[in-house]
Amino acid sequence: MKLFARILALLSFLPCAAGAGEVVVVANAASGVGRLSREQVVNIFLGRFRQFPSGLPAEPIDQPDGSPLKARFYRLLVDKDMAEINAYWARLVFSGRTLPPLKTENSGEVLHLLASRKGGIAYVDRASVDQRLTIVFSPDHDQ
Amino acid sequence: MRPHLSIFFRLLLLSLVARQSVFPAWADEPEELATPRFSLRGFGTLGMARSSSDQADFVRDLSQPDGSRGQWTGKVDSLLGVQANYRFDDRLEGVVQVASRYRYDKSFRPEVGWAFLKYDPDPGLSLRAGRIGTEFYMLADSRLIGYSYLPVRPPTDYFTPLPIYYMNGGDATLTVPVAPGLAKFKAFYGVAGEKIPIADWVWDFSGSRMFGGYVDYLQGAWQWRLSYAQLRFRHDFPINEVRGGLRLTGVPSAIAAADALSVADRRAHYYSAGVVYDKGPVQAQLMFSRTTQESALFEGSSAGYGLLAYRVSSLTPYLGFSRVRSSANPLTTGLPDAVPPFAALNGGVAAIMRQTHVDQRTLFAGVRWDVRPNVAVKLQWDRVRGEPGSVAFQQGESPAWNGRTDVLSLTLDFVF
Repeated sequence: MKLFARILALLSFLPCAAGAGEVVVVANAASGVGRLSREQVVNIFLGRFRQFPSGLPAEPIDQPDGSPLKARFYRLLVDKDMAEINAYWARLVFSGRTLPPLKTENSGEVLHLLASRKGGIAYVDRASVDQRLTIVFSPDHDQ
Repeated sequence: MRPHLSIFFRLLLLSLVARQSVFPAWADEPEELATPRFSLRGFGTLGMARSSSDQADFVRDLSQPDGSRGQWTGKVDSLLGVQANYRFDDRLEGVVQVASRYRYDKSFRPEVGWAFLKYDPDPGLSLRAGRIGTEFYMLADSRLIGYSYLPVRPPTDYFTPLPIYYMNGGDATLTVPVAPGLAKFKAFYGVAGEKIPIADWVWDFSGSRMFGGYVDYLQGAWQWRLSYAQLRFRHDFPINEVRGGLRLTGVPSAIAAADALSVADRRAHYYSAGVVYDKGPVQAQLMFSRTTQESALFEGSSAGYGLLAYRVSSLTPYLGFSRVRSSANPLTTGLPDAVPPFAALNGGVAAIMRQTHVDQRTLFAGVRWDVRPNVAVKLQWDRVRGEPGSVAFQQGESPAWNGRTDVLSLTLDFVF
């Protein structure tokens, strides 16, 4: 039984390492966007195709540079660290194609931008989701 | 192009001034703060490279007149670029990029490589007009951004014959969801504006027209591409003495040979196929290209490369292999070698045609170290093994050149 308890304790730590909350991708509730697939979220955040299935243009918003949430999101989404994401954007920006998601200074600004833009889409801690937002993807669980 | 550019700079200056004056208004409006209209960014590489052979100059590509000839040099890879973006609104954007790198005239004189307006009427369509980077092959329009890729420089066996970096023209990119991925279609048309060094000469590429396009399919970790590009040379290659001599003989076969050696208004066709796999710590690339030439002066060639990398924390070791080979053109002047002046002409023709021959393979291995955000250090070893007659991808080869060299490179790449 002791072993069983240990395994249980271990398992309970797996989904959210180091006590961090769950990251979810949210859109403005007024946008009418339903669930998105991992592929669609990748296309929007990596600038491949910024449009929701409804045809509404998507405006991705990043958490501040250096925030643990940002690093965790890209790790969960595409299994890349921030150096690789930065290198990816260097290629697209300096070949004059697409700009990265909107930059923000703090997580409060992310929520503010989401509320003020119909096509806004961002990743936030599940705890900060309120009725103005709708969860469109959960990188921990969705495929 | 000049008046066009000065307009751009005025716009940029204006935007700078505008930014200053409206700044207080932005402070209490976070929505605007998040999307600054004007941004200034840069990229650069500080690099040292040493080729072991002192019988030919190792260069990054044929836009460089010389490089490493048995000595350490910073000119092969070092460069600096600055880019300004100005967003007029959500759909219209202006971009200007100026870069300084070692170029055809043996200087680091900065050049405007990009100056265009980009208009995206909807998320699936992007139109650009002005001075734009050429993209004959996958990744060709980001060759100067060392920070954006793994090796020290784009694999030389594949990219060396592309000395053109920009065109004045336009392109259109259409993106369409094709379940389960995305299809991208791009078409471009433009006129070249650059020059390239040929021994002690400079060959003017300006006015050469080019067009082409590609089809991409992106799905998950995979990106596939098929592309085609065509270049119509505007100016002849500087070998008028030999061609004049052939014509002077009055012999029909020699006159035909002189015509076959002309380059002006003849075309080069570039076909390529590539696939990139990028998932988690693994990166892999495989590319093939085939170039055909209408002028008998240039040899058609086939090239390919493969690259495999695996990231371990901030270190990414990589291993690559590239190969390029051209096939000699059957061209005879019909002039008998028994007549001494004819023998000299035949020798001249053969010597010129030998200059575009290449037959070599390169094994390269290295490691990229992401030291801190936006800074990477790379160390790479290239083992070039070619036939002694493989001279087209080096500069200033001596008769003792045996087609072999080992290149050691160390770079510091950054973006800001």
